Amino acid sequence: MEPAHAAAPTLPPLGDHLASPRLRSAMLVQQEALYAAREFLRGEGFTELLPPLIGPVTDPGGRGAKALDVDYYGQTYKLMTSAILYKQASLRGFPRLFYIAPNVRVEPPETAGTGRHLVEFHQIDVEIADATREEAQTVAAGLLTRVAEHVWTAVPEVLRELGRDEADFAELRSGKFDACTHEEAVARLAALGHAQSPHAEIDWEAERILSLDAGHPFFVNDYPKGSRGFYDREDPGRPGVLRNFDLIAHGGYGELVSGSEREADYATIVTRMRESGENPAKYAWYLDVARRGLSPSAGFGMGLQRLVRFLTGLDALWQVSAYPKLPGVITP
Amino acid sequence: MSAETVTAAGFPEAAVRARARHGAAAVFPPSGEYGTGLFGAGTPAGEGDRSDPLDALRPAPPVFMPRRLEKLIELGREPGHDDVDLRTGVGGFASALPLYLSAFGSTRAGSGDLAVAAARQAGRLGIPMVVGENTVPVHGYRSVLLARVGAYAETVGDATGGVVVQQSTEDADSEVWNLVYSDPAVRELRDSGRLGFELKTGQGAKPGLGGMTVVDPAEAERLTEAGLFTLATRLGGNGARLRCATPGTFTEEILRQQLRFMRNNFPLARIWVKFHPGRDIGTAAATAWAAGADAVTVDGAEGGTGWAPRVFLDGVGLPLADCLDRIDRNDRPAGTSLLASGRMWEGGRAVRALALGATAVGLGRAALLAVDEDPEHGLERLADALALELKLLLHALGQYRPSELTRADLWPPATGHGVPAAVAAGGGRP
Repeated sequence: MEPAHAAAPTLPPLGDHLASPRLRSAMLVQQEALYAAREFLRGEGFTELLPPLIGPVTDPGGRGAKALDVDYYGQTYKLMTSAILYKQASLRGFPRLFYIAPNVRVEPPETAGTGRHLVEFHQIDVEIADATREEAQTVAAGLLTRVAEHVWTAVPEVLRELGRDEADFAELRSGKFDACTHEEAVARLAALGHAQSPHAEIDWEAERILSLDAGHPFFVNDYPKGSRGFYDREDPGRPGVLRNFDLIAHGGYGELVSGSEREADYATIVTRMRESGENPAKYAWYLDVARRGLSPSAGFGMGLQRLVRFLTGLDALWQVSAYPKLPGVITP
Repeated sequence: MSAETVTAAGFPEAAVRARARHGAAAVFPPSGEYGTGLFGAGTPAGEGDRSDPLDALRPAPPVFMPRRLEKLIELGREPGHDDVDLRTGVGGFASALPLYLSAFGSTRAGSGDLAVAAARQAGRLGIPMVVGENTVPVHGYRSVLLARVGAYAETVGDATGGVVVQQSTEDADSEVWNLVYSDPAVRELRDSGRLGFELKTGQGAKPGLGGMTVVDPAEAERLTEAGLFTLATRLGGNGARLRCATPGTFTEEILRQQLRFMRNNFPLARIWVKFHPGRDIGTAAATAWAAGADAVTVDGAEGGTGWAPRVFLDGVGLPLADCLDRIDRNDRPAGTSLLASGRMWEGGRAVRALALGATAVGLGRAALLAVDEDPEHGLERLADALALELKLLLHALGQYRPSELTRADLWPPATGHGVPAAVAAGGGRP
């Protein structure tokens, strides 16, 4: 399999891009992936909601990504970087819910060359009331397996024309997933000659290295506090360790999913907001819900364009987006 | 020369303005008095306030100087004060001097043209510059913050200096760090390792409180509508209001995690932390360094450029000397910095702070006064004078780099924690 490339690409004019056979193939795969995802999740008892687009706050995010402001009747509102807070708030009425959610994150310009970042993207956003991390991982693994199975059944000729080899999906389709901890990933990276901070998110190059080193997707568990948002639950038995995970695709395609058990305790959420430098006052509506009782939960977001890129084997996310916006690149 | 628009009661304003005009010449008595005037201890021209615990310590050159011998051997000739090398690593940046430009905050005096003039000169000097909190929510991003960063970037050379941007709780709502980090206009500084972010937990002038400014009625209405800041107290009869920013809530864990968050989210930026002169400053500094801070800034109770209640100015918080004394050198990892601010303007006080463990000292009020005196070159001249004094003092102490100074270079020669009783009592001489 071809690894992701680091050089920043040059986007073709949008008209040429929209007319390209490669984009048409990618969109056929995306359509089938969405069909399979919805079918799988509905079969698992999930309800699809349509997510909000703007709000007084959004996911504070990380790694330097910024939310876009909009003027909302004189108030500064944010375009959703992710609707995680709304997912949590929805649980009491919808204990198993999902969105196909559009998100906007103004990523730092240097991420234009990772092949894995777009300013506008979509997530298959899943939340499960009263679930553990393991239950969320079972759903994520089942979702990915079902989608891979379906696209190789529905559009195998499209995948082959794009250069994909069905054998590369055999282990995934048989349901093979591994898991390691963040600490183990850091040690493995050190052995592979890549310095990775034990206190930080696995960096993009490190993700690629781990991904290239694998034959099937794998979970990375237990990220350190300080690398993720305030809503990822801290392990009560191991302070400083979060009950969260990423799902990394094999073959150099990197992270497809981020997920976690969530914090549901009001006082813990406020404290964790401070630990991440946030001003609790701006989360007033969410804290009001939390004061009255958030449902404990676990959930995840699977990046749709990342999923399609993994399925199609294309080099960069912009090739699997009809209207790509690369970080730092001004495009229509 | 501009009209004097800034005043600093209780600060040696006239002396700072003289340096901003005359530079290194102001280090000495007037040259016209040479050969006629007789000078010695007690001369009114002497600098410093001996009732201040830091200024009460005396740099005390020894007779025997092994480091001077090392320098003599290195040079193959007797060293002079010009052989003192003042280049210093300051919080992850290379600096031409053990100096940096302190944050001015969002007060009117600190956020207008003077701040831009100071930025331009700090760039020419090759020293780091800190841009204060609350400038973005109050004055806007492009108009103020970028004007200062732009002025600095225009003048700074390729190899020295750096810009450090603070973010307060209210700034976090405006996502100041995210704005700066992803701004193409700042990219060159960032990619050359010359961008930093400073987590501000407090300030010397009002320890335990957040920033304060006075706003007119129209501004007060705008800030209220935007839901920014607390606006409670009316000041006088003209409708002016006191705008209070929050200081933020910190515990050891909150500090540790915020610093890790900064390192995680802004991997190319240097990470600084500024503390008010708290009684637990030693623990706070150690916690910050252990969490990966490149610099810890301690603002002594003597510090501040902005607006503060008199009851705080008159006697809240630890004097800078006590702060420095409570920070254990062994807690500071190699390559990181301890930065000190509070009434810095001349070389003697700077040398005392450096000998007590500081890596560099910050110019706040002195810098504002200097650029007010001469917006073109006032700060550069003030820094020239300070640098000359540093060189003279280091040479006299037989030290040739600022990092070589230790507590032993000061008198009384106490070691360990706690300011000597004689100093605490306001005395100076044993």
